[in-house]
Amino acid sequence: MEPALRDGDWLVVTTLGGPYRVGEIVLAPDPRAPDRLVLKRIAAIAGDLCTLLGDQPDQSTDSRHFGPVPLAAIRGRALFRYAPIDRFGRL
Amino acid sequence: MFLTDLLRPKTLAHAHCDLPCGVYDPEQARIEAESCYKIIEKYNASNDDQFKTRAIVIKEERAELAKHHIDVLWSDYFKPEHVQKYPEITELCWKAAKQCSKVKGSLDIGDARTLIDMIDKIDEVWTKAGGPQATRVAKAAARA
Repeated sequence: MEPALRDGDWLVVTTLGGPYRVGEIVLAPDPRAPDRLVLKRIAAIAGDLCTLLGDQPDQSTDSRHFGPVPLAAIRGRALFRYAPIDRFGRL
Repeated sequence: MFLTDLLRPKTLAHAHCDLPCGVYDPEQARIEAESCYKIIEKYNASNDDQFKTRAIVIKEERAELAKHHIDVLWSDYFKPEHVQKYPEITELCWKAAKQCSKVKGSLDIGDARTLIDMIDKIDEVWTKAGGPQATRVAKAAARA
């Protein structure tokens, strides 16, 4: 998900803010191994399902591998980064 | 307690990705499983305690590697369309990964044999799913 997210970023994720929208970075379980959480961007929403894609398509494991994800499974949207401090700010 | 400990996130999420080299072959897991098989054979034929201790340690490493290769096949190679066409693959990989754990703690050669047979079943699906053509780099003789 670089450059939007980097390894080790500390983020605030919230369920507040109404329905999820295309373009938002969301926290969702990997449908193949639900204990593993992933952060990906919503590329499309169709009914109750959304397609999640990474920002680096060549290197991303996303809906192209694990299929669409139910909107109900999403744990929240990534709102802002609070560490590292020099990259503090809204996502 | 430092402030950073208070602020440290409690949940870990993955945003980075595998670099998909695209090479997947059950043979990788099979070679590790064969190592387990042969190590158990050698363990049972030996009277040297030091050798037997080393054999156990190395067998556990090999079984763990076999498990890793099976996990990679399942999570990275097999796609939803494969699962749709060959629904047995999920259970085959799941059971084979569990068998790796069994072989890790076992000195019964039958357990290692079972693991090899399970990997061969995964290999059959991988072959039917076009694995050899889709994932491997051709040998020189095949390119000529």
